[in-house]
Amino acid sequence: MTALSVSLGRRTLARPGLLFGAGFLLLLTLLALAAPWLAPHDPNEQDLLNVLLPPLWATGGSLDYPLGTDALGQCVLSRLLYGARVVVIIMAIAPLGAALIGCLLALLGGYFGGWLDWLVERFVDLWLSFPAVLLALILMVALSPGVQNVILAIVFVDWARFCRVLRAEVLLLRRRSYVAASRIGGAGALGIIWRDILPGLLPTLIVLMAMEFSIAVVAESVLSFAGMSAAPQVPTWGGMIADGMGSLYSSPYPLLLPVFCMILTVLAATFLGQGLREAVDVRLLERAGAA
Amino acid sequence: MSATVQPLAIASGALIRAASLSWLALRQALWRIPMLLVITLVTFLILRGVPIDPVNMLMPPNASAQEIAELSHQLGLDRPVLVQYLMWLRGALSGDFGISIQTGQPVLPMVLQALPMTLQILFFGLLSGLAMGLGSGMLAFRARGSVLEPAIMSINGVMMAIPDYLWAIALIVTLGVGLQWLPFIGPIDPGLQVPNITGFLLLDCLLQGDLVAFGSALAHLFLPSLTLGLCIATPIARVLHSSLIEVYQEDYLQAARLRGLDENTLLVRHALRNAALPTISLIGVQASVVIGGTLLIETIFGLPGIGALMIRALGSFDLQTIQLLALTYAITVQLVNMLSDFTLRTLNPRLRIAP
Repeated sequence: MTALSVSLGRRTLARPGLLFGAGFLLLLTLLALAAPWLAPHDPNEQDLLNVLLPPLWATGGSLDYPLGTDALGQCVLSRLLYGARVVVIIMAIAPLGAALIGCLLALLGGYFGGWLDWLVERFVDLWLSFPAVLLALILMVALSPGVQNVILAIVFVDWARFCRVLRAEVLLLRRRSYVAASRIGGAGALGIIWRDILPGLLPTLIVLMAMEFSIAVVAESVLSFAGMSAAPQVPTWGGMIADGMGSLYSSPYPLLLPVFCMILTVLAATFLGQGLREAVDVRLLERAGAA
Repeated sequence: MSATVQPLAIASGALIRAASLSWLALRQALWRIPMLLVITLVTFLILRGVPIDPVNMLMPPNASAQEIAELSHQLGLDRPVLVQYLMWLRGALSGDFGISIQTGQPVLPMVLQALPMTLQILFFGLLSGLAMGLGSGMLAFRARGSVLEPAIMSINGVMMAIPDYLWAIALIVTLGVGLQWLPFIGPIDPGLQVPNITGFLLLDCLLQGDLVAFGSALAHLFLPSLTLGLCIATPIARVLHSSLIEVYQEDYLQAARLRGLDENTLLVRHALRNAALPTISLIGVQASVVIGGTLLIETIFGLPGIGALMIRALGSFDLQTIQLLALTYAITVQLVNMLSDFTLRTLNPRLRIAP
């Protein structure tokens, strides 16, 4: 056990992708938390005398606005910092919610089988056959704008991804001899699910959650790019990108800076997901050991 | 058993197998209908939650309470939700999908007019995605053992993480605004006029014999298709690469190599056909993602397809349009799925056996 955890720790450290991903997302979280202290301006404060200022390093940049201003004279740095809050909140909560619902339905269908399983499978089929972006957008029209509704929309769309994989896993685990032993020993269905099945699902669940980080970030950015995410006064990176498109010819910075942040964050989340997957996935481990 | 009975038994066996096979295909196709129905029902129920009153939007501000009540009754909005859905369904079956509150026109012609543009992007996107994905997957495999293989695959991994709309912006900034190589706004140069014959812009240009317009339309389609293609190419390259590795473990390839075939023939004529199978099922599985991708791509590049129509409808609470477009997207996904199923069954005889 200790040998395994030591080697798990070493495997984690040996992955630069995982370290970069975790490190960057930690930094992003700290920046988002400290946004009120770090931001030089209020993110919605408009300085109409100083619109489309370039960043500090370009000619004409000023220390007042380190990353310049957008078409409304709003401080790009402040908006990026406050926008990071939305990203971090979504990344922290949406995967949890999707995992919870997906896992619950997977256990219900996979363990009890019968018509319940049939129904769960059909719904998963249905959900995966409809463009996720579209479902989330339609949902955001029905719900009103707001970060909590964005989370709701992402959970409502992405539970199926979890359910599909986990249900297959439950079907396998259910047939294991230790589950039969528990059943013979007189354990109830809930006891078996809690003590025998759920721990077996954990590695897959962690992998799926890790992959969901980047999916959730992208989903939020698509929603805010389309103008259907947080309330209008809350700055989001997707919203900044959409606004930046409008002033592309006058100044590319209000567009390029949030795009740059977005790409870095998505890459960090993806690297974190892939790294965790390689570190946790027992099957990959066995393959590496055999080679 | 006499000698004459046996061929008969074989023939009837084959007949039964053929019948059960076509029954299988038919059942798979028929199964898509209830799925489409449930999708329309789910959309309908979600859209009932819209926090605005559709009647208020249709009536002038000074309408009396009685007028409002009359219109609600006329639209069936005072009935239970399920009855309202059945009313929508009855209309839909007779081709009446309601009226858009944006334009006051029937929804169906609006959607049908926009659909060809989306199909064009989808077609060229899939084509370029397949070409780029198969190309880079084969290149990475052909360079196995050298530094090129991990290099291609890690660049591929990074590219896969970047969402479609950011690709669109990146291409616009570099190739469109920066280098000014390609146009990136609208379907065709504003000065050119092409009459609407089939609805497919490229086809209409050719039918008119207008090569200048055709070139312009093609150039305008290049960046949107490339964007969509990039999003499809990256997973294809990865899947093809790993399935090529698997296929090369099989004996028949070793046998072919012993017969003296060179590596390129081996790869293209013998391995690719089998390795392409997971790639094609990937396209089927990814169909909903790819088709969802056209939504933002159309909006960003200013192309008048159903994605741009959808974004506008969502912004102005145009419920009837949203409802029909959701169905259109669902049907498109199912069609791509059917196409990939059909291709798989054609390429892989093992799938033709009915279970």
